[in-house]
Amino acid sequence: MKLPDRITGLILMLLGIATFYGGSRLPPVPGQPVGPDVFPMVIGAGLAVVGLLIALHIGRGFEDAAEAEVERFGGPDREAEEYARRRRWHALLPPALMVFYYFTSERIGFIPVAAIMIGALAYALGANRRLILPVSIVGAIFIQVMFVKLLRVPLPAGLVPMPW
Amino acid sequence: MNSALAAFSMVFAPDVMIAILASAIYGLIIGALPGLTATMATALLVPVTFYLSPIAAIATIITSSAMAIFSGDIPGCLMRIPGTPASAAYTDEAYRMTLKGQAETALGICLWFSALGGIVGTIALVLIAPLLAEFALNFSTFEYFWLAILGLMCATLVARSSPVKALAAMLLGLLVSCIGIENPGGTPRFTFGSTDLLGGIDVISALVGVFALAEVMRALTQKEPPPIPERKLGSILKGQIELTKKYPKQQLRGNVVGTLIGALPGAGADMAAWVSYSLSKRFSKEPEKFGTGHPEGLVEAGASNNAALAGGWIPALLFGIPGDTITAIAIGVLYMKGLNPGPTLFTEKASSMYALYLVFVIANIIMIPLGIMLIRASKYVLRAPRSLIMPIIMVFCAVGAFGAAGNNLFAVLIVAAFGILGYMMEENGFPVAAMVLGIVMGTMVEQNFVTSLIKSDGSIIPFVSRPIAAFLAFFTFLALFWPLIAWLRRKQAAFAAA
Repeated sequence: MKLPDRITGLILMLLGIATFYGGSRLPPVPGQPVGPDVFPMVIGAGLAVVGLLIALHIGRGFEDAAEAEVERFGGPDREAEEYARRRRWHALLPPALMVFYYFTSERIGFIPVAAIMIGALAYALGANRRLILPVSIVGAIFIQVMFVKLLRVPLPAGLVPMPW
Repeated sequence: MNSALAAFSMVFAPDVMIAILASAIYGLIIGALPGLTATMATALLVPVTFYLSPIAAIATIITSSAMAIFSGDIPGCLMRIPGTPASAAYTDEAYRMTLKGQAETALGICLWFSALGGIVGTIALVLIAPLLAEFALNFSTFEYFWLAILGLMCATLVARSSPVKALAAMLLGLLVSCIGIENPGGTPRFTFGSTDLLGGIDVISALVGVFALAEVMRALTQKEPPPIPERKLGSILKGQIELTKKYPKQQLRGNVVGTLIGALPGAGADMAAWVSYSLSKRFSKEPEKFGTGHPEGLVEAGASNNAALAGGWIPALLFGIPGDTITAIAIGVLYMKGLNPGPTLFTEKASSMYALYLVFVIANIIMIPLGIMLIRASKYVLRAPRSLIMPIIMVFCAVGAFGAAGNNLFAVLIVAAFGILGYMMEENGFPVAAMVLGIVMGTMVEQNFVTSLIKSDGSIIPFVSRPIAAFLAFFTFLALFWPLIAWLRRKQAAFAAA
């Protein structure tokens, strides 16, 4: 999702100010010239300045130059850009599914949760409907076997314990 | 000599050989599938490397990344879709060769010159790294501080974006590295009372989010690539020797430029390919043929991006400063396996270093037969539907980060958060590589800064009074103000012309 430079610059500036303030409140270490506060304060100040520059469109010329170069090497695809714009909210599905995994995997178990995740994303990507269910189940079991048996990562069994 | 022999026995151990072969196939397939990058291949490998011996672990990263950078050229040649960003610079050229009925020559160039580039890059690594290591033994925290800052500044300079945005991305990465209690005071910093954040942001989880999950997110906004057209391919390597003889200068220049760009922090194979392709055009005797399916640029850029991979390991092994996004991940694995980067690595763990060089050479040699096999099978591999692969990758992201973070479920949330961050940054022109460098190097910068200040009793004079430190400081400030100088000169030129 593209945001205007004014907005991203402003966000960074506020983040920088917050970082500077947060850093300044950290306790110093007695007898040591620099404590944990200096580094965040430098970063915060830097972010605030850079955020302001971005909001003022400084440095934009370099980006235009890079874009012009890409254009020469084939050029952007207007149709693809329109498609991307229409589907911009779809991009949030994978992180949402990760959050779903965080909250449910321990209770319900790895295999059903992973199968739901695979199925949901495959559907959103327009996979062949008949393949979604088998791929979700086989994919989840495959990953479970690989991580639990081969790599010894303890994935939660939950409601569907496997015989192995 | 004993170290060299020890290296041979390390590399030719059965587990290492199996790891090389398996990761070669894995890298070839990931690289060939559009939307799956070499960095993503590396990030998803990390949880697996936990269970391997140190050499096998490093070998999987080296092999899979080298393979992926080559195989990214295959969909570029056949479908005009780069498999990895490193192929993007010459995808158009390669595809035009295919349209002219020279698909096998184009693929052959990509394979042959990739392998050669990788080997020359390795030779550069073998020659340069130990020399620099000897020099770097004299470095103290002052020099390391400047080196780290200079590395960060380079990352902002080489970004194909606005240097201001690159600087912002880098600062954001440094801010991420501040989180947790690992700081000079040992006080919780920006943890907001969360115990999960006390240990800081797990770097691997963040990288999986930025490089793998963000890619899955992007797939949702892009149409599934069209199916690959049926095509009969002749001999792949036919005519490559002639091309090598015809373009020796281009190949060498590609190798050198690739290695140098790879060694520059923040710039990797994709940057190397762009620079080499345009250099090739600029110095060519027949620049008008570029863009029409002419092999010259392909030779140079193909030789360059694989050389960059080896180049990226030079600062990574010597200073713990990643040369590209792949080594940013590899550094974590090096630490995990007790191969802590630093100049002493070349003296104390010489056999491991020889083993690493050997893996590079082996990887680039087996690339040729395996690459030909993949090209022959590309009809089938490239038909794998993205809509079924991406969901599996997503679950891998979750489980891989969970495993890599010591079975910590919180890592899954980090992946999600950094997926969103990486995706948003990429969309808005903020170079992700600069942020990654900030995350990886933040602790190093702060530690060296604070230790130096304690040593000097709070005085900043030793930061600039030691000769090497002063030299590095000068270049750091030059890098910081370079965009401004470039802008002023452009203004001046425009003014003079008016």
